[in-house]
Amino acid sequence: MNELTLNGQTARFAEGETLLDIASRHGVEIPTLCHDPRLDPAGACRTCLVEVEGERLMTPACARTARGGMVITTENARIDRHRQTLMALYMTDHPHERESEVGSPDLLLDMAARFNAPTDWGWMHPIRDVREDRNPYIDFNAETCIACARCVRYCEEVEGVSAIALVGRGSHTTISTVDEKSLLDTTCELCGGCIDVCPTGAMNEKLPLMRGQKPERKLQKVRSTCNFCGVGCQLDLNVDPEGRDGLGQIVKITSPPPGATTNDGNLCVKGRFAYDFVHHKDRLTHPLVRGSDGALHPTTWDDALQRAADGLMGVAERRGADAVGFVSSSRCTMEENFLVQKMARVLFRANHVHQCAAT
Amino acid sequence: MTNSIGEIRDADFLFVIGSNTSEAHPIIAMEMKRAVRKGATLVVADPRAIWMTSIAKKHLPLNPGTDVWLLNAMAHVIVAEDLIDREFIAKQTENFEQVKAVVASYTPEKAEAITGISAGDIRWTARQYATTEKAGIYYTLGITEHAHGTDNVYALANLVLMTGHLGKPSMGMNPLRGQNNVQGANDAGATPMFYPGYQRVDDPEVRAKYEQSWGVPLSPVPGLNLNEMMKTAGEQMRGFFVMGEDIALSEPNVLQLEKGLNEVDFIVMQDAFLNETARFADVILPAAVFAEKEGTFTNSERRVQRVRKAVDPPGEARADWEILVMLANKMGANWSYKNPGEVYAEMVKDAPQFAGISHEKIDRTAGEDQMTGVQWPCPTPEHPGTTFLHENGILRGKGLFTPVHYVPPAELPDENYGLFLSTGRTLYHYNAATQTRRESGLHAKQSEAYLELHPRDAKKRGIRSGDLVEVTTRRGSVQVRAMVSRQVRPGCIWMPLHFAEARANVLTNDVGDPITGTAEYKVCAAEVRLLKSMSDSEYLFPGSYYDVRGPEL
Repeated sequence: MNELTLNGQTARFAEGETLLDIASRHGVEIPTLCHDPRLDPAGACRTCLVEVEGERLMTPACARTARGGMVITTENARIDRHRQTLMALYMTDHPHERESEVGSPDLLLDMAARFNAPTDWGWMHPIRDVREDRNPYIDFNAETCIACARCVRYCEEVEGVSAIALVGRGSHTTISTVDEKSLLDTTCELCGGCIDVCPTGAMNEKLPLMRGQKPERKLQKVRSTCNFCGVGCQLDLNVDPEGRDGLGQIVKITSPPPGATTNDGNLCVKGRFAYDFVHHKDRLTHPLVRGSDGALHPTTWDDALQRAADGLMGVAERRGADAVGFVSSSRCTMEENFLVQKMARVLFRANHVHQCAAT
Repeated sequence: MTNSIGEIRDADFLFVIGSNTSEAHPIIAMEMKRAVRKGATLVVADPRAIWMTSIAKKHLPLNPGTDVWLLNAMAHVIVAEDLIDREFIAKQTENFEQVKAVVASYTPEKAEAITGISAGDIRWTARQYATTEKAGIYYTLGITEHAHGTDNVYALANLVLMTGHLGKPSMGMNPLRGQNNVQGANDAGATPMFYPGYQRVDDPEVRAKYEQSWGVPLSPVPGLNLNEMMKTAGEQMRGFFVMGEDIALSEPNVLQLEKGLNEVDFIVMQDAFLNETARFADVILPAAVFAEKEGTFTNSERRVQRVRKAVDPPGEARADWEILVMLANKMGANWSYKNPGEVYAEMVKDAPQFAGISHEKIDRTAGEDQMTGVQWPCPTPEHPGTTFLHENGILRGKGLFTPVHYVPPAELPDENYGLFLSTGRTLYHYNAATQTRRESGLHAKQSEAYLELHPRDAKKRGIRSGDLVEVTTRRGSVQVRAMVSRQVRPGCIWMPLHFAEARANVLTNDVGDPITGTAEYKVCAAEVRLLKSMSDSEYLFPGSYYDVRGPEL
């Protein structure tokens, strides 16, 4: 029987489950930084260490496969002391100030505060090389990187392009590309998964930084569905409601956590980064009608709608209702497509309605 | 899709045909990558050596348009080696004997001569597919955008039915939908043959139901499909209402279409940006984009999900549904929808397989522990939705085998037009690209149109990477820069469809599939000539996969 003891309670598990899997299924929280359910366990950050009865050393819960009869402890004085020490060590070359969080959240700061870790264990000046990259989307701040390699593993295991890697040794270890090339010149497909998985905000979205926009924690998230391909990725539009003089501004797009969406926390380059079109200066802002001069002129809604109605009804009167075609859109919503076909069928009594579907 | 995207990771065999998955559906490609990492076997059938072939066990680079030969030959092997699922065929299907008779003559050896795929590879693929339980088929426009696209789909369905790969997780027949709401637009009845929920307009009972609901007599005659509407523009079609599509960029053989549009009396266009179609429009209504409105999209796996308003539209732009209500009322309707939720409720009232879905129900799924959205069929409010179809027997009663014979593409290379031209989407842009070409990173990655051609064909014509070339077909010509690449095979060229200054659809053939009207975007005959040598820029897009030199063919 696959059973073990978790903090004094009996817990059942399936073959191959890790201690972390079992704990989270039983509502026992174990802190993690480098763990991601989409990735193979790495056991790199050491925040998830737990005790197994009969073993001298603590073990990383994310990487340890459960065996029947194990007795696991996830909270005690020794584990507390370990977490405090670990956080204090991380803090010796990690910016302490919350103000340093300019874009994505820095979960390490939250965790250090939560475990009440001392921040006075001295300061090692970060000696990681700072890399400039002309790509417009992904910013890397070596100073806040803890080299947990979650981004590198995501790039290899999920996106499958291996554009970034851990380079350097010891305290020089950092994230870079082959020959320190710009991401634009590598196999990188700019999916931005590295930003999404980074626990410390070292990988960041570049455009909001360059534009001096509010950090992610100060934005409102609105859950919606991506408007590009047919996968139906769920995404969070991160909105500054005060932007654009109160009309609201999309500052960035993030993916919901893995697990409960079709995209499992992933997005592609278009889903994550292609949002500038929403507020683009080329957007149509007024109805336009073609004048007798052949050019398009702005007009009021009432005038444009009247002309559109007269024009379409006029064709139907002169040539028959069968002469008007309705091109609906697979880019628009269900409701809008329903209304277009209803318009064609009810007002023009014909079935000439279709859209750009080809599959 | 008969099955769901989340099931792909657990498949053991993936047959991907006519789908450039990593570029057109990157997130589905991630699921496929995950399956392959877990040990699944991936086979990619595609004339191009697309990225997915780099992790595939086998790449079948078939000659363009020879899909029916490949698929019928696979069926031949499965029948000849008795790898069929007898019980499934007997209990759940009809018409197998007809398909068996037809595929008897499609031997792998003959198929090799026509498809260019070795008989051994055809046999191996057929055996692997038939003998692996969790084996799924994934396809997209490389299958359907042909003059015989429906035949290709039937040929795939025959494989699924004869092996019983239906009604369980991680298998099935899975068209990956190209646009956010292709599935939904069809579901909602924006199609000449069907009311919402695929109820035929020429079915008197159905029509009576809608006449009752809408209070007017309705036409029993199926309408023209998009391909037919475009071909009769200026003749039968004298007025158009065009919402959210750039027909003058996206439709095939656009120069011909433009002549027709010039003869049309009146065109209303509703969009967020000016586009190529705007040149022909009499009235342009400014529309909101997805982030500025409420509603729902339905994805490839039949999952209805919410679109939510995050920001206000610019200026006087309004949500499409609001504009439609205003316009309909100007034309004498009396519509009083207060929000899209009311529209959705009206839609599902008469469409049984969506009847259990509502905006409120979808909103309740947005938690952490439940998959977001509701997958139809979902007939009642209590129904949880359906992750994969045909679990309790095939929905139409019996799965119908449909024998198909190979018909060559409508236009093949000849002495004047010596190359196969195919067109498609890239990772960095989206269709008419009114949105994506306004994005700095996408522009940085891919700023202009290009033509992929094989080094051998390039050499013959004195063309080097970066040179300006002219691509010509019987319908027109465009100028683009050349990218010499082994991603395409000798004799084949490929162009992205996104770029207004080099419209691939000036070149494409508007011959449509006899049933769906879908045009043959994927095959036509073309020729290329050097216009201007620009040898200073050898690589157009450094770092992109297109520049990776594939294996010598």
